[in-house]
Amino acid sequence: MLEGLTVTLLLSILAILFSGVWGVLVLLALRANQLFRVVGRIYVEIMRNTPIIVIMFFIFFGSGILGAPMTGFAAGLLSLVLQNGAYIAEIYRGGIQGVSKRQFEAGMALGFLPRQTFLLIVLPQAIRKVIAPLGTQGVMIIKDTAIVATISVAEMTFQARLLADRTAAVFEIFIALAGLYIIVTSIFNLGVRVLERKYGYKN
Amino acid sequence: MDLIILSLPLFMKGLHNTLLMSLGATVIATVLGVVFALIQIFGNIFFRALVEIFLYLIRGIPLLVLLFTMYYALLYMGFRIDPLVGGTVVIGIYFAAFMAEVFRGGLLSVARGQWEAGYALGLRTKGVVLNIITYQALKVIGAPYVNTVIMVVKGTSLVAVIGITELTFVGRQIVERTLEPFLIFGVVAGIYVVICYSLSLLARYLERKIGYVN
Repeated sequence: MLEGLTVTLLLSILAILFSGVWGVLVLLALRANQLFRVVGRIYVEIMRNTPIIVIMFFIFFGSGILGAPMTGFAAGLLSLVLQNGAYIAEIYRGGIQGVSKRQFEAGMALGFLPRQTFLLIVLPQAIRKVIAPLGTQGVMIIKDTAIVATISVAEMTFQARLLADRTAAVFEIFIALAGLYIIVTSIFNLGVRVLERKYGYKN
Repeated sequence: MDLIILSLPLFMKGLHNTLLMSLGATVIATVLGVVFALIQIFGNIFFRALVEIFLYLIRGIPLLVLLFTMYYALLYMGFRIDPLVGGTVVIGIYFAAFMAEVFRGGLLSVARGQWEAGYALGLRTKGVVLNIITYQALKVIGAPYVNTVIMVVKGTSLVAVIGITELTFVGRQIVERTLEPFLIFGVVAGIYVVICYSLSLLARYLERKIGYVN
């Protein structure tokens, strides 16, 4: 099961990082011209309203039919990033909209260009606001990595199931598995809490 | 096209179970969520700690792991419980943790002055909550509640892995026979999108109609 832990951790870290970056691109698309905006909106709604397991099956089994079979890991990572990127784009949007309009006006009044105002005044405040919701989404991603077990990636949950099929110590195995997830998400939460205390938004 | 028409009966059966489980799990999650939220706010220290720990644990475990645990536990202990029922209960308990947060946030979002006003009028806590706080909290709760229901609907897709014939499971079965993953999973995704998007429109409507306008 500990072998599986490394796969779970690797997948979680990659998925969180790529989702964060993909979320920026989606947000940019949502704020670009009409065409991008419509496509981006449809993309976000489809991703948010489809179960992650269906997206994984679509990509995993689909890539096999196309003749370019993806590994379960790659298909799982892609699915996680595609879905969570959509969620994270919305978080970024909320963060930016959460910054008072007057901040922007103040920047303009001080003679900054719109771009400078956004980068120097609005963005730093927005980043403070998104730390907490991004942390919540990160926990969701870590938990969703368990689902790649269904496309036979040998991560923690997959290994636990193998063990459970082979041995009689079913309860011990699943309690240990649940415990490992709780430890991983707790450490992640702790990290987020530290970041929040240091940079987070204080009322 | 023929394929879709041929598989329509299977899809209907899957959809039936998906909706049934979504409904059941939503009811369980709502009831438990309210109970948890009330305990978190009004309970004594012992119960509060108990609920707090329980929610913390639930929030740290993937739903899939809980489903597997339930499935193997039943198998191992030889209980003859329908996995459909077991799955619904597990999903309900899992999302109760999210519902608790929604209800707690809603109740606590009502201004302190409203509570104090209620007490000043001579009402007990029960009376304040039922007559004053609930109505105002509902305005805040509406949209996030529907969003959590969407998560429940999507969550039911996971029971496919313990062999319950719902939408995702049906989709996989058909794909295994026909090797048409794009078409079939496209249809499956489409059905989920229709259900969940309608719900999210409802959430948006509630937010506009009864939600607080900032």
